[in-house]
Amino acid sequence: MQVPSAQATAAASLLALEEVSCRFGGLLALDRVSLQVQPGEIFGLIGPNGAGKTTLFNLISGVGRPTAGSIRWSDGAINGLPPDRINRLGIGRTFQNLRLFQRLSCLENVLIGLHHSARAPLLPALLGRRSFRQSQGELRQRALELLELVDLADTARQPAGSLPYGSQRRLEIARALATAPRLLLLDEPAAGMNPIEKEELSALIRRLRSRFDLTVLVIEHHVPLMMSLCDRLAVLNFGRRIALGTPESVRHDPAVIEAYLGVSS
Amino acid sequence: MSDLSLLVQMGFGALLALSVYLPLRCGQLSLATPGFYVIGGYVAALLSTRWPALSGDGAGYPLTSLALELVVAAPVAAAVALVLGRPVLQLRGIYLAIATIALVEILRVLNLNLAWSGGAVGIFGIPQPFAGPGGYALATWVLLALVCWLCARLEAMRLGRAMAAIRDDELAARCMGIPSADVKLTAFVISAVIAALTGVLAAHFLNTWNARQGGFDASITTLAFVVFGGSRIWLGPVLGGLVITALPELLRPVGDLRLILFGLVILLGPILFPQGLITPERLARLQQTLRRP
Ligand SMILES: Nc1ncnc2c1ncn2[C@@H]1O[C@H](COP(=O)(O)OP(=O)(O)OP(=O)(O)O)[C@@H](O)[C@H]1O
Ligand SMILES: [Mg+2]
Repeated sequence: MQVPSAQATAAASLLALEEVSCRFGGLLALDRVSLQVQPGEIFGLIGPNGAGKTTLFNLISGVGRPTAGSIRWSDGAINGLPPDRINRLGIGRTFQNLRLFQRLSCLENVLIGLHHSARAPLLPALLGRRSFRQSQGELRQRALELLELVDLADTARQPAGSLPYGSQRRLEIARALATAPRLLLLDEPAAGMNPIEKEELSALIRRLRSRFDLTVLVIEHHVPLMMSLCDRLAVLNFGRRIALGTPESVRHDPAVIEAYLGVSS
Repeated sequence: MSDLSLLVQMGFGALLALSVYLPLRCGQLSLATPGFYVIGGYVAALLSTRWPALSGDGAGYPLTSLALELVVAAPVAAAVALVLGRPVLQLRGIYLAIATIALVEILRVLNLNLAWSGGAVGIFGIPQPFAGPGGYALATWVLLALVCWLCARLEAMRLGRAMAAIRDDELAARCMGIPSADVKLTAFVISAVIAALTGVLAAHFLNTWNARQGGFDASITTLAFVVFGGSRIWLGPVLGGLVITALPELLRPVGDLRLILFGLVILLGPILFPQGLITPERLARLQQTLRRP
């Protein structure tokens, strides 16, 4: 896959944030953040705790509304649209605090992600006709394939809430993938994983990108992992974008070093 | 009460329980069921007493007229549910419960004071399509079987999965592309139709209909059916509705203690089985043990 250049124009970008701000009472969680994500890239978002990373995801996915600025997707503004509409436009996400349907099985979790692929004519469905059963069988097959992709085929029947932490994170990815997104937002997908699992996850994200033609926006605290995984990175601190560029340029950015090490230069 | 009459009442209980269950299955604590039951009852009472053409010329009230009442009551209830559902379902949890109780109460006061509903005395002499309780029992249980079948089918479809997802985590469901407002409204409308159809049968069965039908007590009783039986699979509310309706009659031999025993069962059920008697997991385990030789 070809890596887009950092200077790619806004016109060609898949997602463009322009001066996006988000205020919670007296707290300015995001302060005029602008960035563009190009089709096909893995774009990283790093920054200290409370920097506003999750808030940014919430605004993109429609969970929250920006107090100022605009979010453009392909070529239309999407700020203010409800989350289900935004998902239908091709933006899928996972949650930092894991929001699986705990009591439902892994398979059912993915089937819910397949909601819009599961549309079936009403009458055959009500009558339980063969055509309906067949389409349901195919749907299950697709769900199983997605589970296999994240290495969870063996636990398909278990309740999502009973899985270990790392597996729940991967199940969140499978469920989001089921909604057939073009852009996948991953909020700390490696949190709670050991170093080996982290490496595997990084490989998985790359595999998924090429297999589904995905663009990926990922938040993660583990900086070395992000340096090797991402094509480009943005760094947030206190709601402001303090750096943007290739891993190499971000690594040597004085503002980033200061934010992370807390030293003033 | 005759055994057959008890069967009719049990059927009504199970039907109303399913009506409360559907919104609850997507996490909506709506107590509007008695209101739609009342609407169904008035549709039946008004049509059968004020429209002579329906009465036919034979001895009994024609079954086709009863069928026509059902066919009229369903869209009337659905329309009311559609109009009320959009704004009301934006409320959550206990606020939704209180708002729906208020709606039922408004309806009761209206029926008490409007001329066409017969005011405080109500509507008398609703004609009888069946000669005795046997016919009512048959009609009620056929309707119950149909509604059970509908619920079982819905649960196998994507609508059923979407409902379970909304109940578990509405925000996550919406982020997976599920239009939760539409799903909740669909459940509310089907729930209203079930209650209204039950009301049609009940009006004929009781022979009279008035503003005392389906008040606040009914809201709580029907909710108890679902809490007792379980709200995650259709079998739960059916069992809850049947058992709790029958219990006071079955306990009659116990004499004066029966109401205390009845209260104890309602109290102990949720304590021993917090998710209700029937859960999908318990059913799956039961199926497995049955399958094993
Ligand atoms: N709904 C909300 N209401 C009020 N304050 C909020 C809300 N959501 C986030 N905040 C605040 O906004 C700031 C940014 O939070 P956010 O969750 O975006 O940080 P983050 O960069 O994801 O941090 P972390 O790395 O800890 O996940 C924090 O100070 C947080 O307390
Ligand atoms: Mg966060």
